[in-house]
Amino acid sequence: MAEEENGGGAAAGEFYLRYYVGHKGKFGHEFLEFEFRPDGKLRYANNSNYKNDTMIRKEVFLTPSVLKECRRIVSDSEIMKEDDNNWPEPDRVGRQELEIVMGNEHISFTTSKIGSLMDVQTSKDPEGLRIFYYLVQDLKCFVFSLISLHFKIKPI
Amino acid sequence: MANAADVDALDFEPDDDDLMDEDATVDVDASSPTTAAAHIPKLKSAITSSAPKKTKGRGFREETDPGRTNRMSGRFDSLDSDGGPGPERSIEGWIILVTGVHEEAQEDDLQNAFGEFGEIKNLHLNLDRRTGFVKGYALIEYENYEEAEKAIASMDGGELLTQTVNVDWAFSRGPFKRRNDRRRSPHGHRSRSPRRRF
Repeated sequence: MAEEENGGGAAAGEFYLRYYVGHKGKFGHEFLEFEFRPDGKLRYANNSNYKNDTMIRKEVFLTPSVLKECRRIVSDSEIMKEDDNNWPEPDRVGRQELEIVMGNEHISFTTSKIGSLMDVQTSKDPEGLRIFYYLVQDLKCFVFSLISLHFKIKPI
Repeated sequence: MANAADVDALDFEPDDDDLMDEDATVDVDASSPTTAAAHIPKLKSAITSSAPKKTKGRGFREETDPGRTNRMSGRFDSLDSDGGPGPERSIEGWIILVTGVHEEAQEDDLQNAFGEFGEIKNLHLNLDRRTGFVKGYALIEYENYEEAEKAIASMDGGELLTQTVNVDWAFSRGPFKRRNDRRRSPHGHRSRSPRRRF
């Protein structure tokens, strides 16, 4: 399983993660963003102007165990080995950003929205983009569970 | 909606926003990755003072969206908390995290193992989106503190489906051990390491 003691592992070193997905369109700037901070704070923001125009912003402190599990998910995905050079550029349809600090590595990837695995397969870097695609889904799933259990809201 | 009212009622320490501040100051210089990286130090310095990081990605080279500061720097809603140490209560109960969960575990397995400490009000056993197997963690909600506490005490380090599981609270009332190097004041801390002399 995840290596416990080295810099890229699940336990050691500092950790920061931020994910953003959004676009600007008919309903204004609609986006979802969350971040895990080094002190354990999880922040979650979701702005959808469609139907109701309320911005949801939640924050809660996580225990080190939860942050460690987040690191484990990131670490196992091996996203830090990838590069966004050949990923589709953000466009009118939307933009995704994934920023992670783990150990002594700092990535800040941007790409367009990915509608389906078809977009991944037809891209110039299907292997790297697939890793990104699944990691983002796993992270969202983790965050939605945490936020919905703690605040009893439906995150989406 | 009630949400909006809560958001307004709860303030948020502006000082804690330092991780987001870098947007305003990042200069655009797409031509050189080294230069671009050199313009990112605020995030870096906010969380570490150690050796420079290996940076990678377009995010370091492109113009930063000025809206990003606004997006994450406003007021965030949180449950009332005194900020002290210890677990935080969620709206309807107490949430624990189980890690090391076997990839073929079923909800029933967790019900059986954790149901004996109290009624499980909610169970999230999320799947790995690629493989369809269990991702490796579960979140469990109990109504009472004592139930959750007992589950943690009894199951942490225990075995579930041949794997060792770790069990702990999911939420905390405050930040955990701040690193010394998070202090942003130039006089805030001194490295003990002689290598870091300037």
